Amino acid sequence: MKPDLKLILSVGSPLLLLIVWQAVTAFKLFPPEVLVSPTAVIAAFGEVITTGELQRHLSESLTRLAGGFTTGASLGLLFGLALALSKTVERVFGPTFQALRQVPVLAFIPMLILLLGIDEVFKIVIIAKAAFFPVALAAYDSVKGVPKSYFEVSSLYRAPWWVLISKILIPATIPNILAGVRLSLTRSWLVLVAAELIVADSGLGQMMEMGRQMFRLDIVMVGVIVAGVIGFALDRLFQLLQAHALRWKTA
Amino acid sequence: MTLKTLNLNAFKPVWLMGLIPPVLFLLWWDHEAVKGGANALAFVSLAQVGQALIDMFATGELGLSYGSSLGRALSGLLIGGGIGTLVGIAMGLSKPIEWAASPIYNSFRQVPILGWLPLIGLWFGSGDLSKLIIVALSAFYPTVLYTFEGLKQVEARLLDVARVYRLSGWQTFWRIQWPAALPSIFTGLFQALAFTWISTIGVELLFSSGAGLGAMMQQAQLQARLDIVLVCILFVGLTGFAINFLIKRLSQHVLSWRSIRA
Amino acid sequence: MDYVPHSQIPGHKIKQTGAVSLKGIKKQFNFKDRELKVLSEFSLDVQPGEFVSIVGPSGCGKSTLLRLIAGLDDTYDGTIALDGQRVAGTSLERGLVFQDHRLFPWMTLEDNIALALTNRQISKDAKAKLVADHIALVGLKGFEKAFPHQLSGGMAQRAAIARSLVNEPKVLLLDEPFGALDALTRVHLQGELQRIWLAQGSTMIMITHDVEEALYLGDRVVVMQANPGRITHTVDVNLPHPRDRASPVLHKLKDEILAELTNVPEPSNPIVRLIKGDDQ
Ligand SMILES: Nc1ncnc2c1ncn2[C@@H]1O[C@H](COP(=O)(O)OP(=O)(O)O)[C@@H](O)[C@H]1O
Ligand SMILES: [Mg+2]
Repeated sequence: MKPDLKLILSVGSPLLLLIVWQAVTAFKLFPPEVLVSPTAVIAAFGEVITTGELQRHLSESLTRLAGGFTTGASLGLLFGLALALSKTVERVFGPTFQALRQVPVLAFIPMLILLLGIDEVFKIVIIAKAAFFPVALAAYDSVKGVPKSYFEVSSLYRAPWWVLISKILIPATIPNILAGVRLSLTRSWLVLVAAELIVADSGLGQMMEMGRQMFRLDIVMVGVIVAGVIGFALDRLFQLLQAHALRWKTA
Repeated sequence: MTLKTLNLNAFKPVWLMGLIPPVLFLLWWDHEAVKGGANALAFVSLAQVGQALIDMFATGELGLSYGSSLGRALSGLLIGGGIGTLVGIAMGLSKPIEWAASPIYNSFRQVPILGWLPLIGLWFGSGDLSKLIIVALSAFYPTVLYTFEGLKQVEARLLDVARVYRLSGWQTFWRIQWPAALPSIFTGLFQALAFTWISTIGVELLFSSGAGLGAMMQQAQLQARLDIVLVCILFVGLTGFAINFLIKRLSQHVLSWRSIRA
Repeated sequence: MDYVPHSQIPGHKIKQTGAVSLKGIKKQFNFKDRELKVLSEFSLDVQPGEFVSIVGPSGCGKSTLLRLIAGLDDTYDGTIALDGQRVAGTSLERGLVFQDHRLFPWMTLEDNIALALTNRQISKDAKAKLVADHIALVGLKGFEKAFPHQLSGGMAQRAAIARSLVNEPKVLLLDEPFGALDALTRVHLQGELQRIWLAQGSTMIMITHDVEEALYLGDRVVVMQANPGRITHTVDVNLPHPRDRASPVLHKLKDEILAELTNVPEPSNPIVRLIKGDDQ
């Protein structure tokens, strides 16, 4: 097989999809509420950017994400560590933690709306909740997973506690914790989009939901693409951060 | 049994400590609800929640919603998982298909699953079909990935054996690649099962016409009926718990020969 | 030393088929745009029913050679023929036993062996009989329904030998078949293989890094050297089978071969050489 077939196929297939899409719309096989052309989507993209609509929605969404995610992930980290390091904390809060973990975060949306209203607090809380559990679980599991022998070795050499933490605990647990944080970020973005679609008063989700109600397929498609690109970019960004933080591992 | 082997700790009611937070929380909650005051509108007493549970059972409302949510999740799993497995097989067995399909798969996968809903809603309305498509899509992604990875990871040394005994392409797939990939395929299906339940609740919350636990919660929220919302959360959570338990058990069972593979 | 054809060795079944002829085999791998010569001008004639052992330092191309004969790799120069017929691709006439047993963990021992018969055009009953006979031949009767993980390393390797023999190949290729086993099991299986070979009479080409094993089993021992892989020496072992391990002849030959193998400076890995070459 020719080595460049890979390149041809992996670039060609998305391209072909676009061409078929454009062709289908060019022949007007479907009304514009059902299918708009790629060029119309690009035009809509230009429209929401020039009116500043996209930037406004996006900055609302991302601010929200930043607030909710940092709150949830840091609380999750602290809670997970406490759960792993203290037998008492584990006995008292472990069962509740394990039980609440089973409930999909989305299921809490109606309750939180009733208790907190649909303001910013609700959205921050629901995102924080989405971010909390993966980090807490990763922190708990990875600290619990540090082999006893590591601690034995360090006590053999009479290492003081700060050495224990900086030289053993952190290097041994950080890769898994970061993986948990990355999962948290993806989850947060998913829940954020869902919450904005449900409440629909601001943010990218609202832009999409309004587009749907006004039969503006082009706007909806812009929303879908932006949601995907942002999700991808966040994950990639974090992946780079992760690789940077873990570069000692491969060295 | 001697006294030494008897583990006294097992009989100590340490696990009771785990009940402290939920019990305290419920007491506080009930107190707030009964006391009334600033939050009286939102808080409902435990008695009210219990009553709602009984009423919803009696009218058959709960059973209907629960049944339709479960049905949606399972049919989504079946459809999405089935198509996903086929696509994963095609990608795992043929390099050209892998090259052509992965960029499309990977770009579609970036969109948060519920973000598709407005688009699917425009195309197929806000009824059951749209919901089913999203739920099936949530099962599709992990099954494609794990089927594909499972087939890719079949070792060349095992395929050499197939060549030595001159097995045909089909024989090699059916007798060697498929069983070798099966643990991974099951892992994907288990993940799909968990995802379908989450996405079922999500789509029902967003398109809250029709039956389903999510729809019921959303409608109750509009009527400020926290008692109903709480009963629904309880059932969503219990089902999530049951699914995770089932997955744990099944994986131990299904994946058992993975450890002895080497 | 005069060479006594193996067919005159008492106790050996006489076969007319299974002659393997290797002529001027050259094989190279392309590694990072550089050519890695693995085999160069390798020629060897193996007679029907003969047992040839090949010893050589690791990395000298022994496994590569066997893969070429098995037909798993078709990219080489020179000719490989079985009974005068050039080999192309794999064939049920050429069996192969790997260093690791490569049984499929999801199949019973019986099914693993039957897999080799998948494309043989014989009746179901005939297949079942072949499988049962070969399980008996390697002494695994009673373990038909066992899964690989329930077998010891030695038993699994015996099952692998049964699987490769069930097609009654004209030639059986063995790539360090006992390399992964403990010393006691290895000695035991060497005896078993000798017994099977005497009973079956097919040609066998076995690779090993154990000189004693090579001499104990082989009618001929081929000594290879690396960079590129080639034959430096061939030793005829004119002793009847089954053999006595304590035979002074075997010991003398062993000392000779070991002296030759250890005299040569430590063979450097060609890949390492290549990488080092890049730095210069
Ligand atoms: N598929 C391959 N691609 C590149 N180099 C290979 C490949 N297979 C083997 N080699 C190289 O060929 C040489 C001979 O390998 P091998 O036949 O396995 O040696 P042996 O079995 O004698 O230990 C080694 O240097 C090895 O690195
Ligand atoms: Mg080898």
